[in-house]
Amino acid sequence: MSLIEVRALTKTYRQAVRQPGLRGAFRHLVHQRYTERVAVDHIDMSIERGETVAYVGPNGAGKSTTIKMLTGILVPTSGEITVDGIVPHKRRMENARRIGVVFGQRTQLWWDIPVIETLSLLRDIHEMPAQEYRKNLDFLTELLGLDEFMHLTARRISLGQRMRADLAAAFLHSPAIVYLDEPTIGLDIAVKERIRGFIKQVNRELGTTVMLTTHDLGDIQDLCRRIVIIDHGRIIFDGALAEMTDAFARERVLHFQLRTPCPTAEQELQRIPNVTVSGLSDTELSVRFDRAFISARDITGAIMQIADVSDFRIDEPSIDHVIKRVYDGTLNLAVRKGGGA
Amino acid sequence: MKAKYLSLASRSMQNSLAYRVSFIVNMSASVFYILAMFFLWRAIYAHRTSLAGYSWNDMKAYLLVSFLSSTMLSWYSESRMSSRILDGSVAMELLKPIDFQAARLAETAGTTVFEGGVSAVLVTIVLIVYAGVMTPHSPAAWIAFILSFAVSVLIKFGVVYISSLFCFWTSSGFGVAWARAAITNLLSGALIPLAFFPPWLRATAYFLPFQGIVNAPASIYLGQATGAAVWGTLLVQVFWCVVLWFLGRFVWRFAVRKVTIFGG
Repeated sequence: MSLIEVRALTKTYRQAVRQPGLRGAFRHLVHQRYTERVAVDHIDMSIERGETVAYVGPNGAGKSTTIKMLTGILVPTSGEITVDGIVPHKRRMENARRIGVVFGQRTQLWWDIPVIETLSLLRDIHEMPAQEYRKNLDFLTELLGLDEFMHLTARRISLGQRMRADLAAAFLHSPAIVYLDEPTIGLDIAVKERIRGFIKQVNRELGTTVMLTTHDLGDIQDLCRRIVIIDHGRIIFDGALAEMTDAFARERVLHFQLRTPCPTAEQELQRIPNVTVSGLSDTELSVRFDRAFISARDITGAIMQIADVSDFRIDEPSIDHVIKRVYDGTLNLAVRKGGGA
Repeated sequence: MKAKYLSLASRSMQNSLAYRVSFIVNMSASVFYILAMFFLWRAIYAHRTSLAGYSWNDMKAYLLVSFLSSTMLSWYSESRMSSRILDGSVAMELLKPIDFQAARLAETAGTTVFEGGVSAVLVTIVLIVYAGVMTPHSPAAWIAFILSFAVSVLIKFGVVYISSLFCFWTSSGFGVAWARAAITNLLSGALIPLAFFPPWLRATAYFLPFQGIVNAPASIYLGQATGAAVWGTLLVQVFWCVVLWFLGRFVWRFAVRKVTIFGG
């Protein structure tokens, strides 16, 4: 069985409906009306031990709700979850011993005592043997550079340092699974890279399973082989990152630089099916096409016959472009399941 | 007690040391309040020797106990509990293998040790400088008073904890804390001794847990309760302490559903 098994997991929230204005406010006092909002809608997922999975989706798609259910702090409306053989919300304490969590927008550090004191408190809370604590702390200190600020209070350290300390706090008790909810939010590129390096190394050396939600596509590219996209509470893609770009990032743009103006080129090219041409100036042309229907060679061949090309380059869509289009609804991914199973 | 809760109490004490200035300011507010009460009662006693069984000397001692009680488990501990619920960090607490109520008790205990230390120093100064305040009659009465006072802090914790849980349903902690403080101050005897109440209110107050916060330790301090009555007072206090603990667990079970079912 997989480490995390999720079957038909659903969460609906009850939302109060208030009519606008003062009258609506009074009416709500007397007569409450509610609507159901489905935050997570029958999702299925299996995550194996040692995987690093990116859990991606626009704001309000249901990412955090899923994570909260997996960690056991939110009770599902229906469906099943088992994490390492445990139903998280039924045995919350037991589950809490095996997981680490970082919510990028929150901290679990004590604000007014040195960082190391929070870590030693966590040692006691998790009832860690002294030797294991020592070993893990040394490992984390080295990878995250904790000694720079370990003896400062959390109030005094920078956001990047705070995040490093929070990661140390989440990984300290050797959890089997770590959930990272936007761990790189608001951080500069140097800190981001350090954190990504850390996550990779922990995953490799300790085999910690990592589930990560993020809006930072660099995080995904750097860390995760598998990506799960959720939108409107449904999983719309689950598979390898490379598979997604191969299958859905088919669009290319060819940019041509012409030596001499060629007014007919635009019209000529427009005749080829499945391409869109836009002329930027007399000597510059951009051709957008779908790799599945026509190759770059054919387009280049066609333009060579009518114009004098001095230079050209080809743009491939970036992964964030693909995901952005998925969010926008202009790209419809067929549901693919079991990509990692 | 488990090591994790001791550890939590010690961190909480360290944390409250960071707020020492705020504590001193807070405490001086209590000092001014008690001074106002002192002068008020002195004026009342100017032309009489006894009121509802209290002599002026009794009243001074009563004010001292009331002051001590007000400095323990102050606003700081209360607002820390409610803000944890209001700002949603209660979710982080649920992610740890730790009992929420016991953790709050441990934190409060850590802070209270610091508060208690400061108050003890203040009270000792008052007792030395202002020799007119009476003290318990015997070492046994002292011990009984200290025990009763310790339990009174636990009762106060029970009340404050339960009222903080109401923050799950309200979106601000102030109203809850003020209502809590108003009820506690009146029914515990912190404002005026229960003996001054009309009979029906006095009888009601004796049936409620609040009297265990000020009235009970004060009656032992003043020697109003002696012999078997001391044991009786202590037993009633312990009874409420236990009842409030389990009532707290019961309310928590409902309150936490706001997070676990409704998502906060």
